Amino acid sequence: MKITVKLIGPFVQLLGFGEKEMDVPADTTVEGLVALVGVDRSRPRIVTRNGRAAAPGEGLAAGDRIAISPIYSGG
Amino acid sequence: MNGWTGQFLRVNLTTKTYKKEPFSEEFARKWIGGRGFAAKILFDELAPGIDPLGPDNKFIVALGPIAGIPAPNTGKAVVAGKSPSTGGYGDGNLGTRVAEQLRKAGYDVLIVEGRAAAPTMLYIEDDKVEFLPAEAVWGKGTYETNDWIYAKYGKGVGVLNIGQAGENLIRYAVVRSLEGRAGGRTGMGAVMGSKLLKAVVVKGTRPIPQADPAGMKKVGYDDLREVNRIDKKTGWSIQSTNGVLAWCNEVAALPVRNFRKTHHPDAWKCDGERLNNARIATYGCPNCTMRCGITIRDEEGRESELDYENVGLLGPNLEIFDLPPIGSLNYMCDDYGVDTMSGGCVLSFYADAVDHGAAPGDLRFGDSAGFKKLLTSIALRQGEIGDLLAEGSLRAARKFGHGSVDYAMQVKGLEVAAYNCKFIPGMALAFGVSPIGAHHKESWVITFELKQSVRESYGPEKAKKVIELQRIRGGLFESIVACRFPWIENGWSLENYPKYFKLVSGLDWTLDDFWTVADRVYAMIKLFWLREYPGADRKQDYPPAVWFDPTNVDTEGPIAGKHLEYDKYDVLLQHYYDLRGYDRRGIPTRATLERLGLAEEGRAAERFGSLT
Repeated sequence: MKITVKLIGPFVQLLGFGEKEMDVPADTTVEGLVALVGVDRSRPRIVTRNGRAAAPGEGLAAGDRIAISPIYSGG
Repeated sequence: MNGWTGQFLRVNLTTKTYKKEPFSEEFARKWIGGRGFAAKILFDELAPGIDPLGPDNKFIVALGPIAGIPAPNTGKAVVAGKSPSTGGYGDGNLGTRVAEQLRKAGYDVLIVEGRAAAPTMLYIEDDKVEFLPAEAVWGKGTYETNDWIYAKYGKGVGVLNIGQAGENLIRYAVVRSLEGRAGGRTGMGAVMGSKLLKAVVVKGTRPIPQADPAGMKKVGYDDLREVNRIDKKTGWSIQSTNGVLAWCNEVAALPVRNFRKTHHPDAWKCDGERLNNARIATYGCPNCTMRCGITIRDEEGRESELDYENVGLLGPNLEIFDLPPIGSLNYMCDDYGVDTMSGGCVLSFYADAVDHGAAPGDLRFGDSAGFKKLLTSIALRQGEIGDLLAEGSLRAARKFGHGSVDYAMQVKGLEVAAYNCKFIPGMALAFGVSPIGAHHKESWVITFELKQSVRESYGPEKAKKVIELQRIRGGLFESIVACRFPWIENGWSLENYPKYFKLVSGLDWTLDDFWTVADRVYAMIKLFWLREYPGADRKQDYPPAVWFDPTNVDTEGPIAGKHLEYDKYDVLLQHYYDLRGYDRRGIPTRATLERLGLAEEGRAAERFGSLT
């Protein structure tokens, strides 16, 4: 299924893209996608699915927009 | 006394006199420094009801026990006074060499009183204080003024200065320092201007008293290197603070069109990635190894330093998404000495008021040339509209009427920072109960709300988190006086700060000791407000009405159809008061004041307003 992945902040430079459409297996979870993209598992992060915080085990659906961000603290 | 110089420098501009005043170790332990010193001094020395732009107000520069000492990230000073924008206690911090130079000159606090007869530059070098003419730069911007000072004294001195906005008493004029630093968005630049004080220049040559200077030197430099190593690993300063813009856009927290919208498809044009790509140089404060000041070329080819707050509020908030025009508005704010945050909110408020037929004019969102012209008229108080908007969005809204107060984006008269809380209850609370008016520096809870709580919750866990962060951000960092960024953005342990404190003072404190002082300082500031506004109630801690407006909801996106709810917000506010030990008006109870060692201050405040 096709989803859109948006990286935020330094993840853009660290992982080499800002936003792209990805074709992922239908049973992909949030954490599965994080691993697929290559985010360092030890790095604190917040993942949103269509603008709402998503739990690690949450399943994805076709057309989802997933944003993966380091933890910001508001300057 | 180690850790503090033990002296204030009190300067009177009216009489051109000055004196050194010792303070006790008991005073130092009770208030630590920075905001703690400033709040106590202003409470003790200002009569309630004085004009913040009159000679009776005082301009304070306050430092803390680790300010200016090489360690992460100690090149900061607190500037404070009665706020021209709120009429309550006002302060702010900025990166400046004054942090080191004033302490080396022998002072932890500078108190400036009275009003000069002509534009003046104060020059302080150890025991010497000079009142020098500043007519040559009166009417000039902060960049030219800074250059004029550097040409006289070299770049090693500490400098605080104001631009035309401070001179013209714009109520949200800031104090400026170095290439791009600004602080005191509660109008401290206007307080300087009201005193005809164009600049403060400081040079110090003496060692800062420390319990273990060799130990502090080793730890401080080691830790500066370590913070730099961590930052390189995390990559935080690649996009710096503006990295959060794209995230705010994703989660519907971005201010767009005077906060009426929470996200926009063009926001990517001014996000952290684009800012990094446009970077021409990077600047930082003294004693910083994770520098956050990214400069770009603005539309006029000038070098403009941007961060998230000014991009958010001078960009999407005005429906401008290209970085060069945002940079131009930012440069103009910096040069005039206008706060970029309040400036952005005032500009967006006016465009919104025009749009709703509440104000005359034809300015439209997205019109960057129009906003530039309006900004100039504000900073120079030209024309009826410029002069009115120089008073801030709340005062302007009261004049315009037609319900425009509801969308003046401010709390207590201070405009909100670049986080749209249309449906973020905890962050709305953080703005509501900030002790200086709406400011994100006290507490920022949005990630917590989304990740560790539930966005829809108005529960006590959010009030508890707001207090936890107030103790750290508005308490610890504003009192020892250091930048919070190593901790908040790169995970630098808070336990390092008691360590530094012990090396400089010899005092073996825990973080809990610092939280006690933080609570004392917040209560002290509440008493200051009580004296100024004895009839005020809990409504003063409410965020802007437009966030509660069911006709203002998003029609699509993650918070479609949602808005804050008054009855639920009021419950959340009560959680905060209960946890703080405040009464239903938001005033510390007598029992709380007693517990915090403020019984005497409580009795003094009771002459003006009641306690429970």
